[in-house]
Amino acid sequence: MKTGIFICHCGHNIKHTVDVKKVRDYFSKLPNVTVSMDYPFVCSEPGQDMIRENIEKEGLDRVIIASCTPSLHQDLFKDLLKKAELNPFLVRRVGIREHCSWVGDDLEKNTEKAIRLIRAGLYSAAHHVPLEEKRVDVTKSALVIGGGVSGLSAALFLSKMGMYVYLVEKEERLGGHVRTLKDIWPIRQDGEDVISQMEAELRARENVEVFTSTAIGSFEGSFGNYEAVLDTPTGERKITAGGVIVAIGFSPFDARMKPELCYGRDERVMTTIDFESRAGSLAVPDKPRIAILHCVGSRDEQIGKPYCSRVCCINALRVGNAIKDKYKDSYVESFYMDVRAHPRGGEEFFEDTQEKGVLFTRGNIAEIIPGPDGLLVRGEDTLLAEPFEREFDLAVLSIGMSPPVDSTLIASLLKITLDKDKFFLEAHIKLRPFDTAVKGIFISGTCSGPKDMEEAINHGRASAVKLFGFLNLGYAFVDPFIAMVDMKRCSGCRMCEKACVAKAIKYDEVKRIVRVEEAACMGCGLCNSTCPSSAIGLKGYVDMMIDDEIGALVEAI
Amino acid sequence: MQAKPIKDGALERALDRFLSDDRHLILGFEKGDDGVRHRIFHASLDRHTLLNPFFDVNGALYLRRLFSKGAKVMLLLRPCEVRAYHELVKLSQIEPEGVIAVSVDCPGTVSSKDKTEGVPLDARGLADYFKDPDRMRPACRTCGERRGVVGDAGIRIDKDGVSWAFSYSEKGDSFLALFDCDSDAAPPEMLLGESPKPETFQTDMEQFSRDFSKCVLCKNCRDMCPVCYCIDCLFNGDEYLPKGDALLNKVLRTGSEAMPGGKEMFHFIRMFHVSQVCVGCGACEEACPQGIPLTKYFKGISERLQGMFSYMSGRDPGETIPYLTFLEDELKDAED
Amino acid sequence: MEDQAGKNPQIIGFACSFCTFKASEMAGSLRMKYPEGVRLIQVPCSSRVDPAFVIKSIFEGADAVFVAGCHPGDCHFIKGNYFTRRKIAALKEMFDAFSMKEKLRLFWVSAAEARRFVEKVTAMHDEIKEAKDAGKTN
Repeated sequence: MKTGIFICHCGHNIKHTVDVKKVRDYFSKLPNVTVSMDYPFVCSEPGQDMIRENIEKEGLDRVIIASCTPSLHQDLFKDLLKKAELNPFLVRRVGIREHCSWVGDDLEKNTEKAIRLIRAGLYSAAHHVPLEEKRVDVTKSALVIGGGVSGLSAALFLSKMGMYVYLVEKEERLGGHVRTLKDIWPIRQDGEDVISQMEAELRARENVEVFTSTAIGSFEGSFGNYEAVLDTPTGERKITAGGVIVAIGFSPFDARMKPELCYGRDERVMTTIDFESRAGSLAVPDKPRIAILHCVGSRDEQIGKPYCSRVCCINALRVGNAIKDKYKDSYVESFYMDVRAHPRGGEEFFEDTQEKGVLFTRGNIAEIIPGPDGLLVRGEDTLLAEPFEREFDLAVLSIGMSPPVDSTLIASLLKITLDKDKFFLEAHIKLRPFDTAVKGIFISGTCSGPKDMEEAINHGRASAVKLFGFLNLGYAFVDPFIAMVDMKRCSGCRMCEKACVAKAIKYDEVKRIVRVEEAACMGCGLCNSTCPSSAIGLKGYVDMMIDDEIGALVEAI
Repeated sequence: MQAKPIKDGALERALDRFLSDDRHLILGFEKGDDGVRHRIFHASLDRHTLLNPFFDVNGALYLRRLFSKGAKVMLLLRPCEVRAYHELVKLSQIEPEGVIAVSVDCPGTVSSKDKTEGVPLDARGLADYFKDPDRMRPACRTCGERRGVVGDAGIRIDKDGVSWAFSYSEKGDSFLALFDCDSDAAPPEMLLGESPKPETFQTDMEQFSRDFSKCVLCKNCRDMCPVCYCIDCLFNGDEYLPKGDALLNKVLRTGSEAMPGGKEMFHFIRMFHVSQVCVGCGACEEACPQGIPLTKYFKGISERLQGMFSYMSGRDPGETIPYLTFLEDELKDAED
Repeated sequence: MEDQAGKNPQIIGFACSFCTFKASEMAGSLRMKYPEGVRLIQVPCSSRVDPAFVIKSIFEGADAVFVAGCHPGDCHFIKGNYFTRRKIAALKEMFDAFSMKEKLRLFWVSAAEARRFVEKVTAMHDEIKEAKDAGKTN
């Protein structure tokens, strides 16, 4: 066996706390290592070329790449091996960045840890065998859960690209929260118009089925062939979809969680959402005094909402502008911590709003006290470092975004995860923001975190593009890490069969052994650990590999 | 409870009736010149005896990989042997269709390493003999179930030494039907009562190392264990006892000059593997040429681990082995 | 090179790909620090962890072992971790019988819980180090 070890510096990300030269030298002395090299960025083109040259020159049949975490650049290195005419499963990735250089400060200890981790990879690579990627047929259809702007964008794109789309919406009407918005900045259109346009286009398409007032009853299957049962008003409907896009939106922050602001107890306190519908009929005098509070339900550790909700500053500016346009002699004061008018034109919008006469006071609002003549707003002006108390006729709370009500329900149905704030968790915040850990299931829009309308629309399109890429060929390749029975060693005790969650193991009454139904096997390895003789093994994670990893991690260096 | 009292040769007549069919066999005990041992009775019942106070092998071992449905086999064995039979049925290593399992009250047994003279063969005599518990094997001293209450049927012995046949299933009914007498009310208290709860086993790694220091990895314990059923044990391979090229590779690769020991690992892992099926019969300790106190460990650990799930191996062939099932809401304390 | 093994605890952790391993990746991305003696072995599901692996780890010289997976009910493979819980709880009971229950721990860490992962492994490492320094364990 000829093994090559390639140690990445990752610029200075690995190099700065791991002595890569020492690691390289350690391995070059081992008898079963043919090549041991280090390089600044192995994922770069010259880096890949170097690896490929070594494979070809030295006739390597096992490649260890010690670099960033294994889940990154998976396809890149598999393709590299294919180009070098080596089976793509003969590469072993060892994570020495996220799991070593970035989590330790001590050079010596980190270097030792890196050596042990690479050694574990080296020993277990010896047990890697050439495997064939499993080819599965995929259904060229998609299930889009949620009919807001994000879901509508995703559905439109997929339909235009030839995918059959099932759009499922829990409410009676499509459009989500955008439908309720008036005079959206900066397009100056009502949400009703935006949504009607999208809805009309979607409903006119032949390869789209729209279900409203519908919930997901059950969800099963695997990538390429998900099976869901929809509870529609006219009965149950079974569908098969190759992939899913979750776009169930957000729920507005419940301002009653801040009782000191009296929302729900006094009509004169309303949220920006209430303002959308009641702006035309505010019960205020001709020269109204109106307070706008920023960051209600965001950036607030006390109530467990530490994050910024991204859209509420622009919302607050919209309210300020709308009031000034309607009531020329109004007194409008906005209480803010920071004004995050981040979109294009946002800063100018902020300037314009101030020019219109909206006052901006940097302050924390402690409470709102309703009185007969108005609302007493008490707070602290943080720039002057002075408390203040002012009376207003109306207070508008610019509320943040909370996770959607159904996030836990959908997460457990689809087996995807939620983050600490209960929004859906993406696979990788920078590199895979629309993927989930489950292949074929994507998330888009505000259900994965606060974002504004154009971001939600882009997100929807981006997820659709990714899903389309997966399904377009009609087939896909999945990793072949499924269970395999050694027929000579199986005693036919059927313990694995009883334990198997996917019901992928069947008993042969004649041979008195079990066999694996490959299509159903999920690749968890429960069978392997249930069998006392490990007669059934999980390809890619067989006992010998893990045993050798254990040995490598604790042996003396 | 209704049962049939067995008097005046009724047992022999009943068993003869069973053996009148040529395809019927009985796995039971035969009286020899120095002790009692297992025997398959086919043609005749000569030298048959009901109790076997001499433990050498767990009789269920003889039944492993019994798959034919043609012959009918009656087991007239000790409760630990019938319990082991039940576990093997759960593990699909014995086809139960043709088997009628009858457990017989067992007052205890002496080790194969001890003398055989002077050991009585009748129940009351044995109960007396074992008043000194040191005469019994360690496994029998802490036996979880001495009574013939497992299987399809059982033979209980009352305080006067009279045997009673009980049925516990449909097959048990057919066993009872072999007896040419009427049912009667059995006395409420028998010679052997329910076993007391065993002490919770507690030890440490130093004691473990000391007790197992003499192990020579002969694997007799594993080979004679009735429920250690794997046809190719994990410990046969190069992972735990590498030899030849595999050994040299390991030494050169790891730089470690220590010989592969593996004996402590072998016992520790095997202890976990059998933890939910072990019936505490002590066949392992019987077979050990070095006299290692295996019963204390294997029985102790399995009782502790089975107790976690309120499970007793072998009492009910319909009960699922604990590692193959779960409750969604359990073991909250397991998490750290 | 001076081998640190004698002084600092060596802890082997089995981390499931979909939850705990992801959390450990995030911990790395966030540059959170935890003791170098903690080394992970990645498995697709915590149910892949054979008790024999844990036992082997201890006999080969690890000071302690942890098995970590998704929270019960959230397993990517739907029910795998319920089986893990039973087997590892039983193994912990066995370790307890041998007076070494502190050498095996079971954690549930979801993919988003980078901080929890770091806290759990650091606490475990520190407790083992304390016991080692006090000469209580071998």
